[in-house]
Amino acid sequence: MSVGANGVPALKIEKLRKTYSNGFLALDGVSLEVEAGKFFGLLGPNGAGKTTLINGVVSLARPDSGSVEVFGKDAFREFREARRMIGVSPQEVNLDKFLTVEETLLFHAGYYGVPKKKASERAEEMLERFELTGKRAQRTNTLSGGLKRRVLFARALMHDPKVLFLDEPTAGVDVELRYKLWGYIRELNRGGMTILLTTHYLEEAEALCDEIALINGGNIAAKGSSEELKERYEARNVEEVYMKVIGHDHHG
Amino acid sequence: MIITDRTFQTLLSREILRFTRVWMQTIVPQLLTSLLYLVVFGIALGGRIKQIEGIPYIDYILPGIALMSLITNSQMNSSWSVFDAKRERYIDEVLISPMSDLQITLAYSLGGMLRGVVMGAGVFVVGVPFVGLQIKHPLMLIVIGLLASFAFSSFGTMVGALATRIEHISLITSVIIQPLAFLGGVFYSVGMLPGVLKVVTFFNPIFYTVDAARYVTLGVSDLNPYPTLGMVCLIAAICFGGAWWAISRGPNLRY
Repeated sequence: MSVGANGVPALKIEKLRKTYSNGFLALDGVSLEVEAGKFFGLLGPNGAGKTTLINGVVSLARPDSGSVEVFGKDAFREFREARRMIGVSPQEVNLDKFLTVEETLLFHAGYYGVPKKKASERAEEMLERFELTGKRAQRTNTLSGGLKRRVLFARALMHDPKVLFLDEPTAGVDVELRYKLWGYIRELNRGGMTILLTTHYLEEAEALCDEIALINGGNIAAKGSSEELKERYEARNVEEVYMKVIGHDHHG
Repeated sequence: MIITDRTFQTLLSREILRFTRVWMQTIVPQLLTSLLYLVVFGIALGGRIKQIEGIPYIDYILPGIALMSLITNSQMNSSWSVFDAKRERYIDEVLISPMSDLQITLAYSLGGMLRGVVMGAGVFVVGVPFVGLQIKHPLMLIVIGLLASFAFSSFGTMVGALATRIEHISLITSVIIQPLAFLGGVFYSVGMLPGVLKVVTFFNPIFYTVDAARYVTLGVSDLNPYPTLGMVCLIAAICFGGAWWAISRGPNLRY
């Protein structure tokens, strides 16, 4: 698919700065490049700027300054093209309570301009893939937490994005589902999809990600493959790297 | 194109689905309220007032009651829809989609407009045979209905996007829209008011929509109908501009 095509990075963030209205500086001029086809992990404590970074790319947070390119498309000036390539599975469940599971998928595809026929084929595929076929006619607000999480995944994939943002996707998910999800996401990644994952589970990040960036106080504190990071910080695992880079001034 | 885009059409159809799916809450009670106004004011009060400007009282108030229903419903529809979506953050899905802010604003506003038009038309459909009047300029009535509905639906979109608490939504409806609707000349001619109240009425945007609707339905109005139509267009443009600003730049929608 998109692996290394012309060397254009999946995501190129330059000097992104974001101050919230309460004065909190969430991103302090972050620059970050994610190569196409990578499984990329973004780690850091709560409030470090992980979600703000994702929101900044899709204009859910309006950055003060800086630039973002998605596969070479300017995320602000060419937002239609850029956003069509991005799928987001957010940290907080945000499903439309008026819609059923199936409608959630179909409407999402529509919001992204996917033609009707293609959308319904894709919805069938997603319903099956996430074992939601039996729940298709159920309103999303009547689902259990785990099911809602599955719908969020299926929804993010409905428009066949080239980059998938997974923001704390396994928080509150049971072991079995987590295991299945990772299997599927690995498969998508092998098929060429770029994955940007934020997580608190460091061993998860270590096992899955080709490359890891540690973010703290709105800045990238360290970046590299887990092997490189372990070597650089003389650590046995990513958790130790994390503690060395971030841990000393942060608890939890 | 803004409106031929499937992204836009999907959001608009979602907005229509929202109010038609719960029609027992969104359509039936409001229609009954309007008919109640017609019966109580038209028949009870009409027995005493008889005529205004040569028109039977019940006929005189019908277009105003239809407009009142149209305005309150279109305003409520979009303000609740946007506010709900914002409160539960599913509006994020729309905000990060390839839709432009203009398309998003338009879809929410047109959704509310349709709800308003359904309600306004409902009052006419039930009321006209009941009252037995003939509409003078039916095409113009549709135009006025669409414009007024669009204006207040856009206003609702703006309110929904700016509101930070649920009370703001009900407060805007009960403290601003409903009083303005009641004081907008639905039940009387401005000529019947004392000087000060007459002047105050000219600052009420709902008055212009009611007056225009009355002219195209009955052929009588307080003001010259053409400037009034211009005024309705202006109100619609201002409200839509406000809604667009609130969706695009408003402080409480994006982080």
